[in-house]
Order: sequence, then C-alpha cells, then structure tokens
Amino acid sequence: MRDLKHLYEFEKLLQEANNELVQKAKADGGIALGYTCYHIPEVLLNCGNCFSVRLRAPRTGSMDIATYYMSNFLCGFSKAILERAIEGGYNFLDALLASETCSEMNRTAEHFELLNLVENDKFFLTFLDMPFKIADHTVKHYVTQTRNKILNKMTEVYGIDTSDAALLKAVEEHNEVCRLMTEIGNYRKEDNPRITGYEYHILSLITYCCPKSLILPMLRETAEELKTRELDEKKNFRAKIVVVGSEMDDPDFTALIEDSGALVVADRYCFGTMPGREEIKINPDEDVLTQICLHYLKTSQCPRYMSHEKVQERRDYVRHLVDEYHADGVMYEQLKFCEYWGYERALASYVMSNDYGVPTAAVDRQYTASASGQLRTRVQAFVESLEIKKIQKERKAKENG
Amino acid sequence: MADLGKLYSEDRKAVLKHREWRGFRDTMYDYYRWLVTWKDMIVMVLKAPVSTVKGLWRYRWMASYLSTPSFIDRHTAGLRGTHLRIVHLHFNMIVKHATGLIHTSFVADEKINPKNKLSKKIVLTDEIIPNEIFSGFPNLTVIPLQTIPIFLTSMVDQQITPPYLEVTESFGVPADVCPLPSAEAGVAIEDDYPKMGCCMVATNMPCDGSVMNSTFLDRRLNLPVHLFNIPLRYNDEDVQEYAVEEVKELIKFIEEQTGEKFDWDVFFEALKNSNKQLGYEMEKWDINKTDCPQMTGAAFWLYRIYYFNLSGGVDKRFLKVDKKVNKLMLKGYEKKEPVSKEMRHRAVVWSCPANYYTSFANWLENCWGMNVVMDMETMISYIRYNTEDKEQALKDVAKTYQRSIMRKHTKGGYRNVVDELWRIVEEYDADTVIMYDQISCKGMDGLAGIFDDQARERNINFIWVKQDLMDPRTISRRDMREQVNKYMQTVLQEEPLDPSLVDFEDDLAW
Repeated sequence: MRDLKHLYEFEKLLQEANNELVQKAKADGGIALGYTCYHIPEVLLNCGNCFSVRLRAPRTGSMDIATYYMSNFLCGFSKAILERAIEGGYNFLDALLASETCSEMNRTAEHFELLNLVENDKFFLTFLDMPFKIADHTVKHYVTQTRNKILNKMTEVYGIDTSDAALLKAVEEHNEVCRLMTEIGNYRKEDNPRITGYEYHILSLITYCCPKSLILPMLRETAEELKTRELDEKKNFRAKIVVVGSEMDDPDFTALIEDSGALVVADRYCFGTMPGREEIKINPDEDVLTQICLHYLKTSQCPRYMSHEKVQERRDYVRHLVDEYHADGVMYEQLKFCEYWGYERALASYVMSNDYGVPTAAVDRQYTASASGQLRTRVQAFVESLEIKKIQKERKAKENG
Repeated sequence: MADLGKLYSEDRKAVLKHREWRGFRDTMYDYYRWLVTWKDMIVMVLKAPVSTVKGLWRYRWMASYLSTPSFIDRHTAGLRGTHLRIVHLHFNMIVKHATGLIHTSFVADEKINPKNKLSKKIVLTDEIIPNEIFSGFPNLTVIPLQTIPIFLTSMVDQQITPPYLEVTESFGVPADVCPLPSAEAGVAIEDDYPKMGCCMVATNMPCDGSVMNSTFLDRRLNLPVHLFNIPLRYNDEDVQEYAVEEVKELIKFIEEQTGEKFDWDVFFEALKNSNKQLGYEMEKWDINKTDCPQMTGAAFWLYRIYYFNLSGGVDKRFLKVDKKVNKLMLKGYEKKEPVSKEMRHRAVVWSCPANYYTSFANWLENCWGMNVVMDMETMISYIRYNTEDKEQALKDVAKTYQRSIMRKHTKGGYRNVVDELWRIVEEYDADTVIMYDQISCKGMDGLAGIFDDQARERNINFIWVKQDLMDPRTISRRDMREQVNKYMQTVLQEEPLDPSLVDFEDDLAW
C-alpha cells in the first residue's frame, strides 16, 4: 500500500509534546491544557480558545532525575512525564488537569507543584476525586468535581466561557473528530484492512496530542484518501489481534507487533480510541455537563472500576471487539509497575482464554518498547500459536465434513 | 538488659533458648502473661474443639497462630516495669479478640460445618473498613475477611505469606505489586478463606492494589458484593456529600441483604465508646510528647489499628484495657519511670511498617536506644463523633473512614504525608525518622526524592529502611537491621546499646 499522504507529517508531530501545531495554536492565543487520564473529560478542555494536550514524553532517554524523585518502582510513563517536565518540556502548558485515579500519575502531577516545574505565573494544577462506580450520586459527584476543579478554574484564571453553549460547541468539534476516527477505524473490520494498526495508532495519537481545529482538515483528507486506497494483493499479516491494556502512546510498539506478523485491529488501551473516540450524544432537554460526565464514566474501561457490572462489562467488551473486528486473539499489555493493569492483565487474560475460549497472550513492557527483542519473541510466538490454532480449527472442520 | 541477642538460638530460627531474666517481679509478671496467652488460645480450642482442629488441618495459615506466644515475646524483649505491663495488656486484648474471630470463623465456615445457621448471619467486609458503621446491626456478625487468614498471620509468622504470594505470581500477577493485596488474592486463588457470609462489603481503601485484588476475592466468594467508595481527595469539602451518600448506601445494602434494620441507638452507643477510646488514645499521645514517654515501639500502632478497625466501639473490653493502661502510664509518668534502659534518640516511624517484622521498633530500642514515640499508623483519624444528630454522625463516620489505616497519609495529596511528617517530628520532639521504604508502595515511592530533599533541609537523622511489607524473601529482617546498623555506625558513629543484637540470623524464624 502507498503511504498515507499525511503520515510522515503526523509522525513528525509526534516527536515532540510541544509540537508545531501546539506552538501554532499557542501563537494564535490558544491556552494549552495538559492532562494524562481519560477521566479528565477531554472535550471540556477544548472550550473557547483552550485546547487539550494529552501529555506524552516522546523520545525519552535517561530518567535518572525522575528516578531519584520517584524511585525505581514506578511506571515508566509517570517517570518519563516527570523527567520531561523537569527538563522544561512542558513549559508551554497553561494548566495541568490531574485526577487521583492512579497513585503513580498522581504523584507525578504533584511534582509539578512541589518542584514548580512550569515557568508560567498563571499555570494552575487541579486534582479531581474520581468515583469507582457508577450510581446517581457518583455521577453527581463527578459533575461537581469537573465543575469546581476544571470549568470554574478555567473561567477564574483565563476567563474562558464555559457556558452550555460553549460546551456544546466543543462537543460538536469533538464529535467530528470521533466520526472521522470511527469511519477510518471501521476499515479495520475488513478481511484485508486498508489501514494498518500502526497508521491508525498514529492518527489516534494525533487527535489526542494536537489542537483539534488544526488537525481536522488533515484528518478529513485522510478519511477521503482511505476510501480509494489500493490494497496490496497479498495480505501483510498472519493473524489479527486486539491489543488491550494500560497507557500506550508508543506507535513503535504497534509497529513491533505488526513487524512480527500480527495486525492490530482494535486498540483497547489508554490513549487508544476504544474508548475515546465515541461521539458524545447530547439530549437538549438534559444538563449538558452531566451528560458529558456520564459519557466518560460509562465508556471508561479503566480497571479501577471495581463494581461487579463494570468488571464483567470490561471482559464482555473485549470479547465483543474480537468478534466485531474478526480478531484471532487478544494481547493484554501492561506497563511495568502499573498496579491496576498488573492484576487486570492476569485475571482478564485468564478469563478470556479459559471462560471465553479466546486465545490470549499477556505481556508487560517498558514505556519505550521499540528496542525490546524479548517482546518481539513473545509476539512472534503468539502469532505462531494463533496460526497453529487456525490450522487445527480448519482441519477439524474438514474432518467434521 | 544487655546480651539479649544471646538468648536466641543460632540455627536461624532465633527461638528463645530460655526466657529473659528481668528481675524477679518482672520475670514472674512476664511468665504469668505468657501463661494467660496460652490459656486464651486453649479456651478457644475448647469452645469448639472439632471445628478448630478441622480448621487447623484445612487452612495453612491456622498453624501460624500456634506461634502467638513467640510473637508477643518478640515485642516484650527488654521491657521492664510499666512498659512491660502495658504492652502485655495490649497484646492480651488483641489475643482475646482475635481468638474470638477465629472461633466464629470456624464455627460459621461452611467447609467445616456445612449447613450451619451462623453463616447466613455473617456480613463479610474488607478488613480495612472500620467497624463503627456495622455496630448499627447488633444482630449480625461482621467478619473482616482477610484479617485472620492473612493480615494478622503475616505478623505472627513471617513464613506464611510467601506461599500465597507465589500462588498469585504463578497466576500472572507481577511480583512488583504491593504484597499485601497480592497475598490476599493468593488466599482467594488457593480457596483458603473460610466459606461463610450472606454478602460482602468491598472497598476502594487503602490503595490501588487493594482495589484490584477485589476482583479476585469477588470471583472466589461468589456473594452479593457492595462496593463502598471512600473519596480520595478527602481534604476537599466538595467530596463530603458523596462520602456521606456512600455510608447511607452501605446501610441500605446491608438492610436489603439481611432484612435487619439499622439500630441508631446501638450505633450511637458504639460511637460514644469510640469517643471514650479516642480520649484514652490522646492521653497516650500526650504522654509520649513529654520527655518521659511510657509506651514506645510497635505495641502502640498494633493495638491502635486493631481496635480502630475491629472494635469500632462495639467491644467494651478494649475500653477497660485502655483505662487500666492509662492509669499505669500516668503513674509511670508521675514517677518519671524511664521507658527503656537508655533513650538516646526519639524517633518517628513513617510509612507502612513491615508485617513480617512488627517488632523492628523493639529491636531499635534495645540495640540502639532509639525509642519510637510516634508512627504513621497510630496517627490515623482522631475525629470525635457526634452522638446525637444522625446526619452529623454519618458525616463524622464518613470523615473518619477517609482517614483510616494506610490511606490517611497515602491519599489525598502529598501534604498529608510529607507536611504531616514534619508536624509530627516537631510535636514529638523527634531527632530521628525511621523512613520505611516499602518498595512496592507506589504512593510512597512516588515521593522518595521529596522526603530526601526536605529531610536534608531540616538536618534530621533520616534513616531509610527498605522492606517489602509481607515478603521477607525480598528484604529480610536482618537486611532491615543492617540498614540501621550502617547508618548508626558510619553516619552517627555510635556504639550499640546491646552489641549482641547488632547482627543475628532469623530468616527461618516465625
């Protein structure tokens, strides 16, 4: 297949957190609001002239200083963000919206205050208290938190209009991104998909890390281009898999999987599009903010939701993705030292293979995985096992007539 | 007091070759208390001999409780006079209450006694939820699920946790997660929890690991489960409405599951008892702020967390013990009785102590003259309950629960653990901080550098002690001692109070 027209440009943008589009938006008077967790409703950070930037630390090298502050035993993502912040890599931020959803990222965010990491007098940092289940009073609580700690702060510090009309406008733009990503993502259901997992991963990251208004034209063009994209005659993969797991903003991880023979057809991980790129449906008769908050609570697949229904829903959701995207198996990935996914990966992969009969592999990885030969071997072995299973299945079907 | 180390056998089991000679009166008192411990354990067996013996064969962890007298001996080594007596009184109350829990667990265990009626009258709870709220259901029995099988056992016997950790790790959970929830999950995978109860109350306390192990417990128990949410950013007023709502939801769930009605009178009575007990606790703290503390070391926090969670004002025996202890403490204070042979340093212990080495503070005292006057686990909620207004009482309960064990300091922002430490250091006039580096505690690991930076600014003896909470294989008791030895010998260049305790092997000990 020919490369997508904007792919190289997108790849280049992902080399920096403070990329060209972020700089352009800032130069145009935009207010950059950083966040690291799905529980900070992204759409709220795109009101008025604000724009959301989901923090990454691309091209991370040494994490010595972050390791001094946060020890050897914290996840690489948390430490890489801190290291980058100490290096001054997030000085473009006007605020950091955090939530005490996991202890590790919470501590990273606290260091922004403790070490006074952003050189900006108006910079502010807030922490949301997130519930662990969905009920009427927990939704109300979440709404109060987002109102007090996000919207009111935006208005108070930067004079941002956070009225219902402003929220609806942000939702409209957000939904267009979601529609385009869904349209593009649907190609992955094809027998021989016209987009690779790596390409989709790049597009997905772009939508999180760049101002929406600036990427929309390129995204529209990409969607158009894909309609007529010519496929290679021969399939470039030996098996299709769903990747499920913790935070992942490294497209090289997807590239590594695909180089090993598996095509990633669904991205059910943090920074992926499942969830993340579902349209927010707004009923004009109900409170806008409540509906937005409810959307994020309902769609979240974070393992910190410990109520029985949510736990079951997570497993069913993955199985549903396997069916819908015609995947041969599931790969659970966990960022090393992630407490939530350490447990989820173990139990969910057990349930998936033993209770649901879906071939599953479970791996842990470092924040930057591109150089991992060990990981490559694991993926190759998984692909081979999927192929064997396929052959056995076909043989059995033949024998049964 | 010197040469305590020579009392231990040299076969790495560190069993006492003979009991310590403390002078006639103290030795006799100590021996008498040792007999009382055995008496309480034997009484437990005699109350239900068949169930207890079956439990002993069925559950790996039960045998660990046979080493309880040795556990108490570890915490009373070197103690004399008032200090010896109050530590014994505290431990004896714990033994009395814990044997009751074991007894109830075995009698209600459907694996041991199928078709018993008690089981359906039992509400299982996550061990970290304090008991106050359940006091409103006097006809029900509340059993904290993990306390007896793993939490308490891991303190009594350091060898009991590794097999359960191995089970969890074999299942695929990484070895780097906190070993406490990991071991609890291991007990579930091994099916080593007694089978009982009509429902279960789970919670998001104290940390991410315990949130996640609930999926393992849920899968094994297969009971109706209610998730009791406690807000994390507890200093913010805007979380309190949600916190109170959660308490109400919990009451509603138990009423629905059991058909019992919440009894406000009994609830208020329990809150009054808790307030009284808090009063006694504050008196202890006040005495420890003076230059003549009367209770230093682990008994302080062990007893505190035990009654805070497991009594919740329900068991009045704790009040009697506190009354007696405080009388002794005041008397000792008035007489200016020294708490130990020589108090060279006043220390504050911060972060979670290692379950497999709860008597570490006792060793600090005997070996290096370092008396622990306050610690993080003791310094949990000290909110007084309103005992007349229903709504206000629930608010107070909700606030207390937000400040409970292992989460008051690790959640809600760094100020709760960093600034709080320096406040305590000042208040208790401490010159030393024993900073546990519980290597798997992500909440504390994430502030390691900040603690170091701020300790340097304050020019305080800041001694990091690495440990792995429940897993002595990673960092042994001896390794923990060695870290202090090195600091004392190289940085402070001090001579030990008891050289025989500087280095000894106890990796095969209970």
